[in-house]
Amino acid sequence: MHDDDQNDELIGRVADELRIPVALDPGFDARVMAAVRRATPGRWRRALRWWTEPRPLRVSPLTGLACAAGVAALLVVGAVSLRPSLPSPIKGAVAVGAAVPAEPGSEMVQFVLVAPQASSVAVVGDFNDWDPSRTPLRAEAAGGVWSANVSLRSGQHQYAFVVDGKEWRPDPAAPRAVTDDFGSPNSVIVVGGKST
Amino acid sequence: MTDRSDPALIRQVLDGNPDAYGALVARYRERYARFAVHMLGEREDAEEALQDAFLRAYRSLAQCADPARFDAWLFRILANRCRTAGARRARRSRTFVRDEIALGEASAEHPAERREWREEIHRALGRLEADQREAFLLKHVEDLSYEEMSALTGAGISALKMRVKRACERLRVMLGEVQHA
Repeated sequence: MHDDDQNDELIGRVADELRIPVALDPGFDARVMAAVRRATPGRWRRALRWWTEPRPLRVSPLTGLACAAGVAALLVVGAVSLRPSLPSPIKGAVAVGAAVPAEPGSEMVQFVLVAPQASSVAVVGDFNDWDPSRTPLRAEAAGGVWSANVSLRSGQHQYAFVVDGKEWRPDPAAPRAVTDDFGSPNSVIVVGGKST
Repeated sequence: MTDRSDPALIRQVLDGNPDAYGALVARYRERYARFAVHMLGEREDAEEALQDAFLRAYRSLAQCADPARFDAWLFRILANRCRTAGARRARRSRTFVRDEIALGEASAEHPAERREWREEIHRALGRLEADQREAFLLKHVEDLSYEEMSALTGAGISALKMRVKRACERLRVMLGEVQHA
Protein backbone atom coordinates (compact mmCIF):
# COMPACT_ATOMS: atom_id res chain seq x y z
CA MET A 1 0.00 0.00 0.00
CA HIS A 2 1.37 3.43 -0.92
CA ASP A 3 -0.54 6.11 0.91
CA ASP A 4 0.31 9.68 0.26
CA ASP A 5 1.39 10.15 3.84
CA GLN A 6 3.88 7.25 3.61
CA ASN A 7 5.84 9.16 0.99
CA ASP A 8 5.82 12.29 2.99
CA GLU A 9 9.40 13.19 3.88
CA LEU A 10 8.39 15.23 6.92
CA ILE A 11 6.26 12.43 8.33
CA GLY A 12 9.16 10.04 7.75
CA ARG A 13 11.49 12.23 9.77
CA VAL A 14 8.89 12.48 12.57
CA ALA A 15 8.48 8.70 12.64
CA ASP A 16 12.26 8.17 12.72
CA GLU A 17 12.54 10.47 15.69
CA LEU A 18 9.72 8.74 17.53
CA ARG A 19 11.25 5.30 16.97
CA ILE A 20 14.22 6.14 19.17
CA PRO A 21 13.91 3.96 22.28
CA VAL A 22 12.67 5.60 25.44
CA ALA A 23 14.66 4.97 28.59
CA LEU A 24 12.72 3.59 31.51
CA ASP A 25 13.43 4.06 35.17
CA PRO A 26 16.13 1.50 36.11
CA GLY A 27 13.88 0.11 38.81
CA PHE A 28 10.97 -0.53 36.48
CA ASP A 29 11.49 -4.29 36.13
CA ALA A 30 11.91 -4.72 39.87
CA ARG A 31 8.70 -2.79 40.54
CA VAL A 32 6.72 -4.83 38.04
CA MET A 33 8.03 -8.11 39.37
CA ALA A 34 7.36 -7.08 42.98
CA ALA A 35 3.76 -6.34 41.98
CA VAL A 36 3.61 -9.66 40.13
CA ARG A 37 4.81 -11.56 43.21
CA ARG A 38 2.29 -9.75 45.39
CA ALA A 39 -0.42 -10.80 42.95
CA THR A 40 0.75 -14.42 43.00
CA PRO A 41 -1.26 -16.57 45.39
CA GLY A 42 0.64 -18.86 47.75
CA ARG A 43 0.94 -22.60 47.23
CA TRP A 44 -2.10 -23.48 49.36
CA ARG A 45 -4.24 -20.82 47.76
CA ARG A 46 -3.21 -22.07 44.32
CA ALA A 47 -4.09 -25.59 45.35
CA LEU A 48 -7.47 -24.45 46.66
CA ARG A 49 -8.07 -22.49 43.47
CA TRP A 50 -7.17 -25.54 41.40
CA TRP A 51 -9.94 -27.48 43.12
CA THR A 52 -12.58 -24.75 43.31
CA GLU A 53 -12.29 -22.82 40.06
CA PRO A 54 -14.20 -24.13 37.04
CA ARG A 55 -11.98 -25.03 34.12
CA PRO A 56 -12.64 -26.28 30.62
CA LEU A 57 -11.87 -29.93 30.03
CA ARG A 58 -11.02 -31.23 26.60
CA VAL A 59 -12.23 -34.80 26.30
CA SER A 60 -12.57 -36.81 23.13
CA PRO A 61 -15.99 -38.41 22.51
CA LEU A 62 -14.46 -41.87 22.94
CA THR A 63 -12.91 -40.96 26.31
CA GLY A 64 -16.20 -39.40 27.42
CA LEU A 65 -18.07 -42.55 26.48
CA ALA A 66 -15.58 -44.72 28.38
CA CYS A 67 -15.89 -42.48 31.47
CA ALA A 68 -19.70 -42.63 31.33
CA ALA A 69 -19.59 -46.43 31.06
CA GLY A 70 -17.19 -46.61 34.01
CA VAL A 71 -19.43 -44.43 36.17
CA ALA A 72 -22.48 -46.53 35.23
CA ALA A 73 -20.62 -49.73 36.12
CA LEU A 74 -19.58 -48.30 39.48
CA LEU A 75 -23.19 -47.32 40.22
CA VAL A 76 -24.45 -50.82 39.44
CA VAL A 77 -21.73 -52.49 41.55
CA GLY A 78 -22.34 -50.04 44.39
CA ALA A 79 -26.10 -50.60 44.37
CA VAL A 80 -25.69 -54.38 44.40
CA SER A 81 -23.07 -54.41 47.15
CA LEU A 82 -24.93 -51.95 49.36
CA ARG A 83 -28.28 -53.72 49.26
CA PRO A 84 -27.51 -56.53 51.77
CA SER A 85 -26.00 -54.09 54.24
CA LEU A 86 -29.07 -51.91 54.55
CA PRO A 87 -30.04 -51.78 58.20
CA SER A 88 -33.06 -53.87 59.10
CA PRO A 89 -35.85 -52.01 60.84
CA ILE A 90 -35.63 -52.10 64.60
CA LYS A 91 -38.15 -54.43 66.07
CA GLY A 92 -39.37 -54.15 69.61
CA ALA A 93 -39.01 -57.77 70.65
CA VAL A 94 -37.47 -60.47 68.55
CA ALA A 95 -36.36 -64.02 69.16
CA VAL A 96 -32.60 -64.16 68.74
CA GLY A 97 -32.64 -67.96 68.45
CA ALA A 98 -29.73 -70.28 69.01
CA ALA A 99 -27.18 -67.52 68.91
CA VAL A 100 -27.88 -66.82 72.56
CA PRO A 101 -28.28 -69.78 74.96
CA ALA A 102 -31.60 -70.08 76.75
CA GLU A 103 -33.16 -72.51 79.23
CA PRO A 104 -34.76 -75.67 77.85
CA GLY A 105 -38.30 -74.96 76.64
CA SER A 106 -37.46 -71.30 76.48
CA GLU A 107 -36.17 -68.94 73.86
CA MET A 108 -34.01 -65.90 74.15
CA VAL A 109 -35.90 -62.77 73.13
CA GLN A 110 -34.38 -59.38 72.54
CA PHE A 111 -36.44 -56.39 73.60
CA VAL A 112 -35.56 -53.15 71.88
CA LEU A 113 -36.90 -49.61 72.30
CA VAL A 114 -35.72 -46.45 70.63
CA ALA A 115 -35.93 -43.68 73.23
CA PRO A 116 -33.23 -41.01 72.70
CA GLN A 117 -34.47 -38.79 75.54
CA ALA A 118 -34.77 -41.54 78.14
CA SER A 119 -32.38 -41.94 81.07
CA SER A 120 -33.59 -45.43 81.95
CA VAL A 121 -35.75 -48.08 80.30
CA ALA A 122 -37.03 -51.39 81.64
CA VAL A 123 -39.25 -54.08 80.26
CA VAL A 124 -42.09 -55.41 82.40
CA GLY A 125 -44.40 -58.31 81.64
CA ASP A 126 -46.05 -61.40 82.87
CA PHE A 127 -42.61 -63.04 82.77
CA ASN A 128 -41.17 -60.80 85.55
CA ASP A 129 -44.30 -60.01 87.57
CA TRP A 130 -44.48 -56.54 85.97
CA ASP A 131 -41.60 -55.44 88.14
CA PRO A 132 -39.65 -52.48 86.58
CA SER A 133 -36.57 -53.22 88.66
CA ARG A 134 -36.01 -56.76 87.38
CA THR A 135 -35.25 -56.33 83.65
CA PRO A 136 -33.55 -53.05 82.80
CA LEU A 137 -32.59 -52.33 79.18
CA ARG A 138 -29.06 -51.29 78.32
CA ALA A 139 -28.38 -48.25 76.21
CA GLU A 140 -26.49 -48.90 72.97
CA ALA A 141 -23.48 -46.76 72.13
CA ALA A 142 -25.45 -44.24 70.08
CA GLY A 143 -28.84 -43.46 68.64
CA GLY A 144 -30.91 -43.79 71.81
CA VAL A 145 -31.43 -47.52 71.31
CA TRP A 146 -32.09 -49.55 74.45
CA SER A 147 -32.08 -53.34 74.52
CA ALA A 148 -32.14 -56.42 76.78
CA ASN A 149 -32.10 -60.17 76.18
CA VAL A 150 -34.66 -62.14 78.19
CA SER A 151 -35.23 -65.90 78.30
CA LEU A 152 -38.95 -66.51 77.82
CA ARG A 153 -40.86 -69.76 77.98
CA SER A 154 -42.73 -70.77 74.88
CA GLY A 155 -46.13 -69.25 74.63
CA GLN A 156 -47.76 -65.83 74.46
CA HIS A 157 -46.59 -63.07 76.73
CA GLN A 158 -47.80 -59.54 77.42
CA TYR A 159 -45.28 -56.83 78.14
CA ALA A 160 -44.59 -53.09 78.08
CA PHE A 161 -41.66 -50.73 78.50
CA VAL A 162 -41.24 -48.41 81.48
CA VAL A 163 -39.36 -45.25 80.63
CA ASP A 164 -37.60 -43.23 83.35
CA GLY A 165 -39.30 -45.37 86.01
CA LYS A 166 -42.78 -43.97 85.47
CA GLU A 167 -43.96 -43.86 81.88
CA TRP A 168 -45.42 -47.08 80.53
CA ARG A 169 -45.23 -47.50 76.80
CA PRO A 170 -46.42 -50.27 74.58
CA ASP A 171 -43.94 -51.67 72.08
CA PRO A 172 -44.48 -49.60 68.93
CA ALA A 173 -43.25 -52.53 66.81
CA ALA A 174 -45.45 -55.25 68.30
CA PRO A 175 -49.19 -56.07 68.30
CA ARG A 176 -51.26 -54.77 71.21
CA ALA A 177 -52.94 -56.96 73.80
CA VAL A 178 -56.71 -57.20 73.64
CA THR A 179 -56.98 -56.71 77.37
CA ASP A 180 -55.34 -54.00 79.36
CA ASP A 181 -54.90 -55.07 82.93
CA PHE A 182 -53.14 -51.94 84.19
CA GLY A 183 -55.01 -49.12 82.54
CA SER A 184 -52.43 -48.74 79.76
CA PRO A 185 -52.02 -50.74 76.59
CA ASN A 186 -49.63 -53.69 76.56
CA SER A 187 -47.91 -55.50 73.74
CA VAL A 188 -47.94 -59.16 72.85
CA ILE A 189 -45.17 -61.55 71.85
CA VAL A 190 -45.54 -65.22 70.97
CA VAL A 191 -42.48 -67.37 71.70
CA GLY A 192 -41.98 -70.75 70.02
CA GLY A 193 -45.21 -70.57 68.06
CA LYS A 194 -47.39 -71.61 71.06
CA SER A 195 -49.81 -69.47 73.00
CA THR A 196 -49.90 -69.79 76.80
CA MET B 1 18.62 -25.74 25.43
CA THR B 2 15.91 -24.02 27.46
CA ASP B 3 12.90 -22.85 25.49
CA ARG B 4 12.57 -19.10 26.05
CA SER B 5 9.75 -18.51 23.58
CA ASP B 6 6.70 -16.58 24.74
CA PRO B 7 4.48 -19.71 24.93
CA ALA B 8 7.16 -21.59 26.92
CA LEU B 9 7.57 -18.73 29.39
CA ILE B 10 3.82 -18.39 29.75
CA ARG B 11 3.58 -22.13 30.41
CA GLN B 12 6.19 -21.77 33.19
CA VAL B 13 4.29 -18.88 34.76
CA LEU B 14 1.02 -20.80 34.67
CA ASP B 15 2.78 -23.80 36.21
CA GLY B 16 3.58 -21.68 39.27
CA ASN B 17 6.86 -19.94 38.41
CA PRO B 18 6.09 -16.18 38.48
CA ASP B 19 9.78 -15.32 37.95
CA ALA B 20 9.52 -16.53 34.35
CA TYR B 21 7.32 -13.50 33.73
CA GLY B 22 10.38 -11.31 34.25
CA ALA B 23 11.73 -12.46 30.87
CA LEU B 24 8.53 -11.30 29.16
CA VAL B 25 8.72 -7.94 30.94
CA ALA B 26 12.31 -7.49 29.80
CA ARG B 27 11.43 -8.54 26.26
CA TYR B 28 8.61 -6.06 25.66
CA ARG B 29 9.14 -3.17 28.09
CA GLU B 30 11.12 -0.87 25.79
CA ARG B 31 9.01 -1.25 22.70
CA TYR B 32 5.80 -0.66 24.62
CA ALA B 33 7.28 2.05 26.84
CA ARG B 34 7.92 4.04 23.66
CA PHE B 35 4.28 3.79 22.64
CA ALA B 36 3.03 4.66 26.14
CA VAL B 37 5.34 7.66 26.47
CA HIS B 38 4.26 9.04 23.08
CA MET B 39 0.61 8.44 23.90
CA LEU B 40 0.64 9.96 27.39
CA GLY B 41 3.43 12.50 27.05
CA GLU B 42 4.91 11.89 30.49
CA ARG B 43 7.32 9.16 31.42
CA GLU B 44 5.81 8.68 34.88
CA ASP B 45 2.31 8.25 33.47
CA ALA B 46 3.67 5.93 30.80
CA GLU B 47 5.50 3.75 33.30
CA GLU B 48 2.40 3.55 35.44
CA ALA B 49 0.26 2.51 32.47
CA LEU B 50 2.88 0.01 31.32
CA GLN B 51 3.25 -1.50 34.78
CA ASP B 52 -0.52 -1.74 35.04
CA ALA B 53 -0.69 -3.44 31.64
CA PHE B 54 1.99 -5.97 32.59
CA LEU B 55 0.19 -6.72 35.84
CA ARG B 56 -3.22 -7.06 34.20
CA ALA B 57 -1.73 -9.36 31.60
CA TYR B 58 -0.11 -11.45 34.34
CA ARG B 59 -3.36 -11.81 36.25
CA SER B 60 -5.23 -12.82 33.10
CA LEU B 61 -2.46 -14.93 31.58
CA ALA B 62 -4.57 -18.07 31.65
CA GLN B 63 -7.04 -16.29 29.36
CA CYS B 64 -4.43 -15.49 26.73
CA ALA B 65 -5.96 -17.54 23.94
CA ASP B 66 -2.88 -17.57 21.72
CA PRO B 67 0.38 -17.48 23.73
CA ALA B 68 2.35 -17.19 20.49
CA ARG B 69 0.67 -13.78 20.03
CA PHE B 70 1.28 -12.62 23.59
CA ASP B 71 2.88 -9.43 22.31
CA ALA B 72 -0.25 -8.36 20.43
CA TRP B 73 -2.43 -9.30 23.39
CA LEU B 74 -0.24 -7.25 25.76
CA PHE B 75 -0.22 -4.35 23.31
CA ARG B 76 -4.02 -4.34 23.24
CA ILE B 77 -4.12 -4.20 27.04
CA LEU B 78 -1.58 -1.38 27.06
CA ALA B 79 -3.47 0.61 24.40
CA ASN B 80 -6.60 0.35 26.52
CA ARG B 81 -4.69 1.45 29.62
CA CYS B 82 -3.29 4.45 27.75
CA ARG B 83 -6.75 5.42 26.53
CA THR B 84 -8.14 5.17 30.06
CA ALA B 85 -5.23 7.10 31.56
CA GLY B 86 -5.45 9.74 28.86
CA ALA B 87 -9.16 10.23 29.33
CA ARG B 88 -8.93 10.28 33.11
CA ARG B 89 -6.73 13.26 33.45
CA ALA B 90 -6.72 16.56 31.67
CA ARG B 91 -3.76 16.65 29.43
CA ARG B 92 -0.99 18.72 30.90
CA SER B 93 0.11 21.88 29.13
CA ARG B 94 3.61 20.53 28.64
CA THR B 95 2.90 17.42 26.63
CA PHE B 96 6.37 16.62 25.45
CA VAL B 97 8.50 14.08 27.23
CA ARG B 98 10.19 15.41 30.32
CA ASP B 99 12.48 12.49 30.46
CA GLU B 100 15.85 13.72 31.64
CA ILE B 101 17.49 10.42 30.82
CA ALA B 102 16.16 10.23 27.29
CA LEU B 103 16.75 13.89 26.60
CA GLY B 104 20.20 13.65 28.11
CA GLU B 105 21.05 10.82 25.77
CA ALA B 106 19.56 12.72 22.87
CA SER B 107 21.54 15.82 23.64
CA ALA B 108 24.74 13.84 23.91
CA GLU B 109 24.21 12.19 20.54
CA HIS B 110 22.61 15.04 18.63
CA PRO B 111 23.20 18.72 18.27
CA ALA B 112 20.97 21.24 20.00
CA GLU B 113 18.78 21.72 16.90
CA ARG B 114 18.01 18.08 16.89
CA ARG B 115 16.93 18.26 20.52
CA GLU B 116 14.65 21.21 19.82
CA TRP B 117 13.22 19.41 16.81
CA ARG B 118 12.45 16.41 19.00
CA GLU B 119 10.70 18.55 21.59
CA GLU B 120 8.59 20.17 18.86
CA ILE B 121 7.56 16.76 17.60
CA HIS B 122 6.37 15.72 21.03
CA ARG B 123 4.60 19.00 21.53
CA ALA B 124 2.77 18.61 18.21
CA LEU B 125 1.97 15.00 18.98
CA GLY B 126 0.40 16.06 22.25
CA ARG B 127 -1.89 18.47 20.43
CA LEU B 128 -3.44 15.74 18.32
CA GLU B 129 -6.73 14.12 19.29
CA ALA B 130 -6.01 10.95 21.26
CA ASP B 131 -7.47 8.63 18.62
CA GLN B 132 -5.47 10.39 15.87
CA ARG B 133 -2.29 10.19 17.92
CA GLU B 134 -2.87 6.51 18.60
CA ALA B 135 -3.53 5.74 14.92
CA PHE B 136 -0.46 7.70 13.80
CA LEU B 137 1.85 5.95 16.28
CA LEU B 138 0.53 2.50 15.43
CA LYS B 139 0.88 3.10 11.71
CA HIS B 140 4.10 5.07 11.37
CA VAL B 141 6.08 4.23 14.51
CA GLU B 142 4.98 0.68 15.36
CA ASP B 143 4.61 -0.20 11.65
CA LEU B 144 1.34 -2.10 12.08
CA SER B 145 -0.89 -2.88 9.12
CA TYR B 146 -4.38 -1.42 9.12
CA GLU B 147 -5.73 -4.93 9.75
CA GLU B 148 -3.54 -5.26 12.84
CA MET B 149 -4.53 -1.79 13.98
CA SER B 150 -8.19 -2.68 13.58
CA ALA B 151 -7.77 -5.85 15.62
CA LEU B 152 -5.93 -3.91 18.32
CA THR B 153 -8.18 -0.87 18.59
CA GLY B 154 -11.52 -2.29 17.55
CA ALA B 155 -11.98 0.55 15.07
CA GLY B 156 -12.79 0.00 11.39
CA ILE B 157 -10.05 0.20 8.77
CA SER B 158 -11.55 3.17 6.95
CA ALA B 159 -11.91 5.09 10.22
CA LEU B 160 -8.28 4.32 11.06
CA LYS B 161 -7.10 5.51 7.65
CA MET B 162 -8.98 8.73 8.17
CA ARG B 163 -7.41 9.23 11.60
CA VAL B 164 -3.91 8.67 10.21
CA LYS B 165 -4.57 11.07 7.34
CA ARG B 166 -5.85 13.79 9.68
CA ALA B 167 -2.95 13.26 12.06
CA CYS B 168 -0.44 13.61 9.22
CA GLU B 169 -2.12 16.76 7.95
CA ARG B 170 -2.06 18.39 11.36
CA LEU B 171 1.55 17.37 12.03
CA ARG B 172 2.59 18.78 8.66
CA VAL B 173 0.95 22.08 9.50
CA MET B 174 2.33 22.33 13.03
CA LEU B 175 5.86 21.14 12.26
CA GLY B 176 6.02 22.92 8.89
CA GLU B 177 5.46 26.18 10.73
CA VAL B 178 8.35 25.34 13.05
CA GLN B 179 10.66 24.48 10.15
CA HIS B 180 9.88 27.72 8.35
CA ALA B 181 10.02 29.84 11.47
